[in-house]
Amino acid sequence: MLSPERLALPDYEYLAQRHVLTYMEDAVCQLLENKEDISQYGIARFFTEYFNSVCQGTHILFREFSFIQATPHNRASFLRAFWRCFRTVGKNGDLLTMREYHCLLQLLCPDFPLELTQKAARIVLMDDAMDCLMSFSDFLFAFQIQFYYSEFLESVAAIYQDLLAGKNPNTVIVPTSSSGQHRQRPTVGEASVLEGVEASLFYQCLENLCDRHKYSCPPPALVKEVLSNVQRLTFYGFLVALSKHHGINQALGALPDKGDLMHDPATDEELERLLAQIPGLVNSATANPEASCLPSRTPPRVGSPWRPLHHARKLDAESDGSTEETDESET
Amino acid sequence: MIPGKYRSVSGRAANNVNCGLHLVIQTSSLPEKSKVEFKLNKETPSFPGRLLQHDLERNYSSRQGDGRVISPSPRNKSSCISSTTNVTDLCGLEMKTTLSSLSAFGESSIQTPSKSRTRQGCHSAGPNVSGDHIHLASSSMPSFPVLQRSSEEKILYSDRLTLERQKLTMCPIIDGEEHLRLLNFQHNFITRIQNISNLQRLIFLDLYDNQIEEISGLSTLRSLRVLLLGKNRIKKISNLENLKSLDVLDLHGNQITRIENVSHLCDLRVLNLARNLLSHVDNLNGLDSLTELNLRHNQITFVRDVDNLPCLQRLFLSFNNISTFESVCCLADSSSLSDITFDGNPIAQESWYKHTILQNMTQLRQLDMKRVTEEERRMASVVAKKEEEKRRESHKQSLLKEKKRLTINNVARKWDLQQHRIPSIATNQDRNVSDSPSQDPVSAFPEETGSLDSGLTNALQGLSVLDTHLVEVDGDTLSLYGSGALESLDRNWSVQTAGMVTTVSFTFIEFDEIVQVLPKLKIKFPNSLHLKFKETNLVMLQQFNALAQLRRVDQLTIDPQGNPVVNFTLWKYYVLFRLSHFSMQKINGTEVTQNDMIMAERLFGILAHVASSELPQYRLISILGDARKKQFRYLLETKGKKPGLVSEENNDSKKLAGENTNRATLNYTTRDFYNERLEEIKEKKKFCKMYMEDLVKEATEINMKNEALQKLWPQMFIELVRDAVIEIRNKNSYMKLCLQQITDQK
Repeated sequence: MLSPERLALPDYEYLAQRHVLTYMEDAVCQLLENKEDISQYGIARFFTEYFNSVCQGTHILFREFSFIQATPHNRASFLRAFWRCFRTVGKNGDLLTMREYHCLLQLLCPDFPLELTQKAARIVLMDDAMDCLMSFSDFLFAFQIQFYYSEFLESVAAIYQDLLAGKNPNTVIVPTSSSGQHRQRPTVGEASVLEGVEASLFYQCLENLCDRHKYSCPPPALVKEVLSNVQRLTFYGFLVALSKHHGINQALGALPDKGDLMHDPATDEELERLLAQIPGLVNSATANPEASCLPSRTPPRVGSPWRPLHHARKLDAESDGSTEETDESET
Repeated sequence: MIPGKYRSVSGRAANNVNCGLHLVIQTSSLPEKSKVEFKLNKETPSFPGRLLQHDLERNYSSRQGDGRVISPSPRNKSSCISSTTNVTDLCGLEMKTTLSSLSAFGESSIQTPSKSRTRQGCHSAGPNVSGDHIHLASSSMPSFPVLQRSSEEKILYSDRLTLERQKLTMCPIIDGEEHLRLLNFQHNFITRIQNISNLQRLIFLDLYDNQIEEISGLSTLRSLRVLLLGKNRIKKISNLENLKSLDVLDLHGNQITRIENVSHLCDLRVLNLARNLLSHVDNLNGLDSLTELNLRHNQITFVRDVDNLPCLQRLFLSFNNISTFESVCCLADSSSLSDITFDGNPIAQESWYKHTILQNMTQLRQLDMKRVTEEERRMASVVAKKEEEKRRESHKQSLLKEKKRLTINNVARKWDLQQHRIPSIATNQDRNVSDSPSQDPVSAFPEETGSLDSGLTNALQGLSVLDTHLVEVDGDTLSLYGSGALESLDRNWSVQTAGMVTTVSFTFIEFDEIVQVLPKLKIKFPNSLHLKFKETNLVMLQQFNALAQLRRVDQLTIDPQGNPVVNFTLWKYYVLFRLSHFSMQKINGTEVTQNDMIMAERLFGILAHVASSELPQYRLISILGDARKKQFRYLLETKGKKPGLVSEENNDSKKLAGENTNRATLNYTTRDFYNERLEEIKEKKKFCKMYMEDLVKEATEINMKNEALQKLWPQMFIELVRDAVIEIRNKNSYMKLCLQQITDQK
């Protein structure tokens, strides 16, 4: 009510834009669904709890996907919940497949669409290596971008394709840039001449998009920062850069910085408490210090294929870089 | 001992011969020695004894020698069965060695010094008769020797002539001896039977141990009753057509490969074919008088036609190659057979040998030379009955197994089709082929389906076979194949069966369908501890949530086949975490260790914590559902207390309530059900949206009006005040007006 923007819009539209209506609708819907139970302990109590949980970001737990993606706040809450719940998986050092991550997502949201997970995995992996294993942090940050900005990214993809197809007269179209190759990662500070689109042109389009886009999109300044480092880039190169950008992560505000990703003292404490509760645990005293320092790797586990996948991929990227170099020298 | 035996034999015989033969042989082959005179000083045992000697088997390990088979002479048939082998042994050995060197030929007697002791022993046993002198002189035919006996000898032994060990290479011409009834050519080198066709009264012809290759020259000997051709080189039974009254035929120790040309010998009582090359026995028709058949030491694999021998009492099949009872089953149909031997055959090594034989041949009195006792017979019949039952049972089982296999195949095919694994064209053809056999179970086993509950014991209990699914209870395992099998859980299972089942296995069933029957499973099979899933489409970790509602699970086996979830690194830990209240022993056959438990908790503990402690209460209620409200209330109550207390009491509640409450929020709704719910939610949402829209519109309208009012109000107030002031400015007129109003009112 205090916001000056409020005066610029009619009330209804303002409420809709701020997603207040969404929450109100959902609150009533929830009330309707559990009216017998709720009537027992008071409708006022219910609304209090509901809006409290919305504020805390716990309202999205085990909800249907349509609700989870309904607002940016919900998305951020879901990202945070996912991080909190499965940070331990990442901490354990397990590399998982896309499908397994999808299963973890489904534990929180039973109808989470596979498509979205696939798209996120595509940012991390090469297109033809979709069955490969990913580290938790790689997946999480890619997933964050894909999930939080999914509508924005769709528009970006369309723009990118248009640029590639030469709809913008300024674009230089290189015959060799087939759809199979534009998955290539850019190396920071190095321009890929033959692939992707020109960064500055791309930025102009994106800026334009950000202005008129009604869904959430990353801050244009940060997008500019990402694009200013390179001359040319591919679509997936752009996504990778976005996912690895600290500023965007901070602006999004759901997850801690990559360095602190495994750090969450509150839940660690809670975990210790839970571990101590395991029935039949003999020496919790010895288990506790182990838990506190939390070794990244526990005793070797059966059926846990440890493949240094990421190293392999990075090597690939490096070799790609070298070819780019030669290409550049030729031109 | 040996002479004694011998004596008894010879004594029983009609005349004991201790004949010294004096042979004068003149052959063209020995030109210088135009006349060779043999002086033979030897005794000849009586016929019965000699007959036995023919069978020179050295295998005396068993009590019976082949020799005893041909025991009786025409005259005294059954007198001397048991005395034979020793005599045979002795004489056979002795004669062989005696004749071993040609140097023994000459005018002197052919006894060699080394052997004289034995021979003299024999000699002295019999009456001391000086040697006969038989002269063999060349006849008109230059090649054949001619035999002549002195007249006194002729008188003495008018009906018999013995030409043993005379090195004869051919039969001599025997003149003037038409009355001969017995002729003995043992141990010579005769290659061909000839020159005896004039001896038409001959009853007994012994050609044992010669080199005859073909049976011939016997066509005129119509009264011949005993023909001994043992130890020759005969390859084929032939030329016996006229010997209609033959009583004993000994062909042992030849090279005969098959039995033939004997069907006319309707008086033949004894046939000895031991030590030949027979591979099987048949062509025995017409031998209506045959009582004894000796077939030892051949290579016989099967026996036929024996049931066509009405008088056969003794059959010796020792040391052949018979390995199954089926190959000699015709023996069971012979009513006369009382004595049989199978020793030395593969069949005799079998565990079932004795009782099978006894069971099938009840008429038997002796088996392998041992008397068959009543007890043995009884045992045999008991064993056989059991065997029969077992066989029937196993047949039934194999039938069931086959049907089970077919049904499972069918279910698997349907499943594959359902999973879109097989291109549909190929399967259509397949189905056409396999549908016909799989129709059977439906029609053939309706009663099995019905009796499933009643008589279920340890073995294979019952099999309810339908085309599309299969339910099987085997011991403590309930196996369900195909989604239709889940309906079986609705049946009234007997308490015993239900109590016994501890393992439930699901194959070719969608996990979502299984989830729906889990409550039933919990009720009907309270003891089920081990769940097995194979080809059930387990793809998500959350699906394991559904298993938490069961009472107890000790073991879980998820076959990787058709369950992609098993490929996940985390699945085991998730199972352990989610089903921790079962404190499971094994997952996929591997023992669960404490490390596993800790790991599971470490991986997913936070999830549970978040799920339980951070979920708004209204959500908790709706998720937990009615059944768990109690626990939830408990949780609510403890929430307000100190954290330390909470955890302890949580522990208690865990123990009491079984399922860890903070995990209860992690549950699984099947896809269909979930979609249904989403639909429902959608509808509600639509309603809510409309309702809220109206509400908000109303509210904003009110707000707008309110705001407008707020805006207008100060001006309005000013206007009102101004109006009032203007009204009362002229005091006199205002008063007048007021008074006027009052009076008007009155």
